[in-house]
Amino acid sequence: MSAHEVADVAVIGGGPAGLAAAAEAKAAGASRVLLLERDDRVGGILNQQVHDGFGTKVFGEALTGPEYAAIYEDRVNDRDVETWLKTHVIDVTKDRLITVHSDKGLRTIEAGSVVLSMGCRERTRGAIGTAGTRPSGVFTAGAVQNYMNVRNLAVGRKVVILGSGDIGLIMARRLKLEGAEVVCVAEILPQPSGIAGNMVRCLEDFDIPLFLSTTVVEIHGKSRVTGVTLAEVGPKMGEKKGTRRFVECDTLLLSVGLIPENELTNKIGIITNPLTTGAIVDDSFRTSVPGIFSCGNVLQVHDVVDYATLESEKAGIAAAIWATTGKLPDADIKVTAGEGLRYVLPATISGTDSVDFTMRSWKEDHNRAIIFKSGGEEVRRLRMPHMEPAGMIRVRLGKGRFRRIVNNELTVEVGD
Amino acid sequence: MNTTLICIVCPVSCPCDVEWTQEDGVIKVENNQCKLAFEYVEGELFDPRRMLTTSVPVDGGNWPLVSVKTHVPIPKDQMLEAMKAIEGIRAEAPIKVGDVIVPDLLGTGSDLVATRNVTTV
Repeated sequence: MSAHEVADVAVIGGGPAGLAAAAEAKAAGASRVLLLERDDRVGGILNQQVHDGFGTKVFGEALTGPEYAAIYEDRVNDRDVETWLKTHVIDVTKDRLITVHSDKGLRTIEAGSVVLSMGCRERTRGAIGTAGTRPSGVFTAGAVQNYMNVRNLAVGRKVVILGSGDIGLIMARRLKLEGAEVVCVAEILPQPSGIAGNMVRCLEDFDIPLFLSTTVVEIHGKSRVTGVTLAEVGPKMGEKKGTRRFVECDTLLLSVGLIPENELTNKIGIITNPLTTGAIVDDSFRTSVPGIFSCGNVLQVHDVVDYATLESEKAGIAAAIWATTGKLPDADIKVTAGEGLRYVLPATISGTDSVDFTMRSWKEDHNRAIIFKSGGEEVRRLRMPHMEPAGMIRVRLGKGRFRRIVNNELTVEVGD
Repeated sequence: MNTTLICIVCPVSCPCDVEWTQEDGVIKVENNQCKLAFEYVEGELFDPRRMLTTSVPVDGGNWPLVSVKTHVPIPKDQMLEAMKAIEGIRAEAPIKVGDVIVPDLLGTGSDLVATRNVTTV
């Protein structure tokens, strides 16, 4: 094996997004596709998500995480994608020269196209600045999921969960099933962060209390957690006086959000959206740097893996086309997130093929509509019986609607 | 009767508006994105069931655990009982996705099956 390699497409990160991108890049005609993964197996977080609910959009049935991952792992293997495990990407240049480190030493890869699919890591205690001592027994929910579901390690007997993110809720159920006592879930926001389904099957099913507008203000314990102090917070997140109460526990799980791992994206100098922290992309998932694409959770945090897969398949195909022909349609139509939406993606479209737009609303709302407008006229309207920030909204704009777009501008907003 | 039930089959969590009666069962379901909601809603009203997903230790495998699920959902109120029944069960590598680890768990008619491939080391 030489220290310098050449590939048509190099995919960074072998989670669900990277697996889908690599498999489709190969199928779309890229002759050598490299999938670079720092873990000792591909599949990413799916390997530890033993619960079901994956695949309803792609396969029409609810699979578990490992089953879903196995399908795509088989696919990359069947298509002769070259997978490099235990390989850290330490640098990518604008000219798509990748430097990796592994037990084979330092190597460089000259790639025709690069797909950034690094996913997310979890926010930790440091990121939320909780006061108190520093005992053992404070974990992120995903770390506990890995310990319990992959490594067969138990973490504690009496657990408080801070944050109602989906992994936290799923771990509440998991801990309960494994015989631990889950004292409560505390959420600083006035509404749950996780999806509604997990409120039902993870908390209500097991009578686990959820305290909204409540947070952990202090962690107690010397060598091990002995308890936490909870307090209610007001509308401006300030602690409400006289609401402190001590709760005994030996473990605190944090489910306080995900951080897209965009360090490489930023190092390359790719333009990002401050609201997603991910790259700004067009409808081919091209970033601002030619030949570099981005997809999956590093681009935008998804709630449904199926959508990360579908997005990444498109990115993989586009990466293969660019690597083999150097051509992709120009994306000249500018898309803006209007009233009521935090962001909409992609930021520009070519108008050559139907586009699946993804977006999130600022707040929970009922009986509204997602409205596409151009030149002040309506292009498309979709009724939304219910929307909430925790649920990504996905709307297809069919090719047939593009003739209504004028002045190369399209606005997407929440309306009536 | 009219009830709103959140479909829990997948993360989309459709808030389904359900029209139903004890005698006629489910009459109408609205606000659902896909057909999987119909079966869920019917079950949730008359015979609530859940998929049980957990893991079982493996001997001689490249993973210390094999993840497992009930191949069809089991009665919701038997979840913790089922976990007790699984306690102490060990599986032996190699294991393929779909292999039966415990047949007819608690007489529910649902087999506990593997959801991960485990190879021997």
